[in-house]
Amino acid sequence: MKALVFSDEPKNAREIITYLRGKMDIDVISTEDKELPEYGAQKVYFYKDGFVDNLSKFLADHITKNKYDFVFISSTNTGRELAGILSYKLKMKCMPEIFSFEHGGKTVTKRFFHGGKTVVEEESDFQMFTVSASICEAEKTDKRSEIENINLDKSNYKIINVKGKNTAGTDIRNAKVIVSIGRGLGSEENIKKIQPLVDELHAEIAGSRPVCLDYKWLSEDKQVGLSGKKVRPDFYIALGISGQIQHIAGIRGSKTIIAINKDKSAPIFEECDYGIVGDLFTVVPELVKKLK
Amino acid sequence: MDIAVLVKQTVDMDQIKLNDNNEPILDDLPLKMDILSKNAVEAAVQLKEKYTGKVTAFIFGTERSTSTMKEAYAMGVDDGTVIKGYQKSDPTVTASVLAEELKKSKFDIIILGDQSSDSYSGLLAGILSSELGLDVVTNAINIEIKDKIANVTVESENEDITVETKLPAIVSVAQEINEARLPKVMQIMAAGKKPINIVEGKPDYRDDSRILSDKAPESQRKKIIYEDGKGIDEVAKILKVVK
Repeated sequence: MKALVFSDEPKNAREIITYLRGKMDIDVISTEDKELPEYGAQKVYFYKDGFVDNLSKFLADHITKNKYDFVFISSTNTGRELAGILSYKLKMKCMPEIFSFEHGGKTVTKRFFHGGKTVVEEESDFQMFTVSASICEAEKTDKRSEIENINLDKSNYKIINVKGKNTAGTDIRNAKVIVSIGRGLGSEENIKKIQPLVDELHAEIAGSRPVCLDYKWLSEDKQVGLSGKKVRPDFYIALGISGQIQHIAGIRGSKTIIAINKDKSAPIFEECDYGIVGDLFTVVPELVKKLK
Repeated sequence: MDIAVLVKQTVDMDQIKLNDNNEPILDDLPLKMDILSKNAVEAAVQLKEKYTGKVTAFIFGTERSTSTMKEAYAMGVDDGTVIKGYQKSDPTVTASVLAEELKKSKFDIIILGDQSSDSYSGLLAGILSSELGLDVVTNAINIEIKDKIANVTVESENEDITVETKLPAIVSVAQEINEARLPKVMQIMAAGKKPINIVEGKPDYRDDSRILSDKAPESQRKKIIYEDGKGIDEVAKILKVVK
């Protein structure tokens, strides 16, 4: 069996290849990335200046010509646009947002539904999938891929402005330890009260949707959840996070989840390994003292 | 300017309860306008207010969808069509039913929410753009229009990119584009009296996928919970490995 993996983000491409490796032969199309040829794909294609129009045209031809059994597209803005267009053009139905793929006689996939409340397991003959971010941890292999650079046609879309965002610090998706804050922190000023814990654990700070998008205590790139980043640290420490299902969907890959919350009935306690029911402004300083 | 807005109706997911088998109980759940559809309606109405014109809303739903259409009216939508026949989440079918209806009129811009809050599929904009042969820009946080050209600012990981695209086009919006208005009582009352165009859709659902199970994921976590000031030593010990 032969599959094509597409992602405009090489990080996602590496994860999808790692996930599928051994089950089938894989070609991958992505943007320039030094490490991508080290993940076991047969062929790595790099493109530049891709938009939906020139990419969808190239991909449609490439998929038809190479007769792939499966097409896996990582779920990013560009990925979802392309999946929609290709699914129409190639008459291949697309199963969206999968996080599990098994192929026997039929294909069995899993995805979240009802806003993350449930997981649906589906059997289908579908050949195209969008793959939810962070499907697994990427691992290199000894095998080196063959590399080819693609020349795309000129796009009809024109970029007229690019504005960098305040994305302080590193990518939380690579963090080994994450201290994550929720509404329970009360105010932006209170971040400094939990900062000693962040420092002591050499952690990255992250937050829930309200903290990053509504109150803007942290920048958007620090948002964890179904609509934010999906993280998989060794330790995820949730401070004052109630644990709405959309948030849980973003932290399921964490090895150990520790929750501190004063509300005993907070759903986060149903989804953590260790929980402390208590006021985080009392518990966190004591914890820091013990860690020193 | 002729603006179309595509509105999705979902069950109120916060109210989903589970049965003994951990499966969702979906009967008799209240329906509401999906979160991102509210932002889409708001974006459409704001464009009308800024550039003048008319906003037409489309819902692919059931006979129960008129309440959501009234909500859209109260927010400032001028005209609305409910297409009946919706059975399940299938972006290919939804796109073809909507395209069929959208082809009957001319629109300068078609606005929708980027990903719906039940499945987060986000495929509709792309499929629809192919069905209608239009350009597509997704996850917009700002839309400016000038002389049949739209400058759409799109949110991505580390930067905001403004893309120029010719109209007509399809633009899906992110939640950050605006804060949806809360209609005033007078507007809600007026919306209740406004006629809604109801048509029969011809959805072509196929038996091409089968649900094997639909269950709340079981937590594999240890769930060791400490109360009454306890647990700090234990948690500190676990975290010591980090250092």
